[in-house]
Amino acid sequence: MRGALAIDFTRIVTEGPNIEDTARTARSDDRRLAAACAAGDPEVFEELYRLHGDRMKSMAWNHLGNIADAEDAVQETFIKIHRAAGGYSGEAAFSTWLFRILINTCYDQLRRRKRRAEESPIDDDLGAMRAATTVDETKRLALRKLLAALPEQRRSVFVLFEIEGLSHAEIATILDITEGNSKWILFSTKKQLQEQWRAAR
Amino acid sequence: MTTCNDIDDLLLEGDSMAMQRAARHAENCQSCLEKLAAWNEITALAPSLRTTWQSDLLWPRIERSLRAERRRIRPIVWQIAAAFLLVAVLGVTVWEVRRTARQSAFDDAILRMTAVDEVERTERAHVAAIEKLEKLAAPQLENASSPLMISYKEKLMLLDDAIAECQSNIQRNRQNAHLRRQLLAVYSEKQSTLQELVREESHVSTP
Repeated sequence: MRGALAIDFTRIVTEGPNIEDTARTARSDDRRLAAACAAGDPEVFEELYRLHGDRMKSMAWNHLGNIADAEDAVQETFIKIHRAAGGYSGEAAFSTWLFRILINTCYDQLRRRKRRAEESPIDDDLGAMRAATTVDETKRLALRKLLAALPEQRRSVFVLFEIEGLSHAEIATILDITEGNSKWILFSTKKQLQEQWRAAR
Repeated sequence: MTTCNDIDDLLLEGDSMAMQRAARHAENCQSCLEKLAAWNEITALAPSLRTTWQSDLLWPRIERSLRAERRRIRPIVWQIAAAFLLVAVLGVTVWEVRRTARQSAFDDAILRMTAVDEVERTERAHVAAIEKLEKLAAPQLENASSPLMISYKEKLMLLDDAIAECQSNIQRNRQNAHLRRQLLAVYSEKQSTLQELVREESHVSTP
């Protein structure tokens, strides 16, 4: 794509097999992508949005609980990427780095919201969009409410693993914890949810 | 044989083999069956929370804010460049001023030393001239018998003491012009005293 840049965006979405050459090429692509972001190439940003926008919105929505805040977080993340891309080291995949910025932006928003004492984390705007109220919809809303009550880190591990399907290795990089820690947090979070779920039945 | 105590370990492992073992145990354990059912329900429900929505305005909004950010960054880059340039110019100026000051201080010191050397050379010539005069007057002073001669002799001794004191002070501070002038005055006084003495002697010896 885009002539000289020629960044392989498909690799950014799905990581290839763990072969050294592939990893090296991916790192080099990621670095070129970061350089293009630092230079403010609008086409690169558009492509990033096309590839990761939906997932970013979903992650943000599951952290912040409403569409307006989720979209603000995604927008702020792109600005932060533009500002920070020059410092991207290539140690983690660019997508993982991008998600890390998004999650931190969500945490910032949650803290700002706490300071403003405007507690409106769960509005069922999307449920309302879907119109039909089914049993599954009720359960989904119940699970969202349980998630909203979790501490930040527990919620993030659950969202990233169970909802977004990321690996523990990726989650460890995004949240700056160890892989074992990520597994343990997921287990204890699910155990906590399981007990609350049974109690609510 | 899996027991109720193993269930947590199996759930922590979470792979399909561990979950099958947990399910086999739950077939004969009502309590674990309920726990496992809740666990599996949450696991099955979670991916359905992955959600997205059509937002036609979000990308244009992001694009606008990125454009604004680029416009904001550009002046900052220029400001940083200008600041670096200013620091560089200031640095060079300060370095040049200090270098010039050092050079000028060195030149001043050299000039001062040269002036002092010249004064000392003149002083030595002056002293040599006075010593010649002193040699001429020496016989009269040694055989001084008249009150006038004795008074000259005492005056010259006082002047020698004053000269010695001035010289000792000058040794401590060679560049003190006041001391130099004082020494010169004493030498001049000694010179005129010796000249008077020599003249006096020639009057006496010439009938």
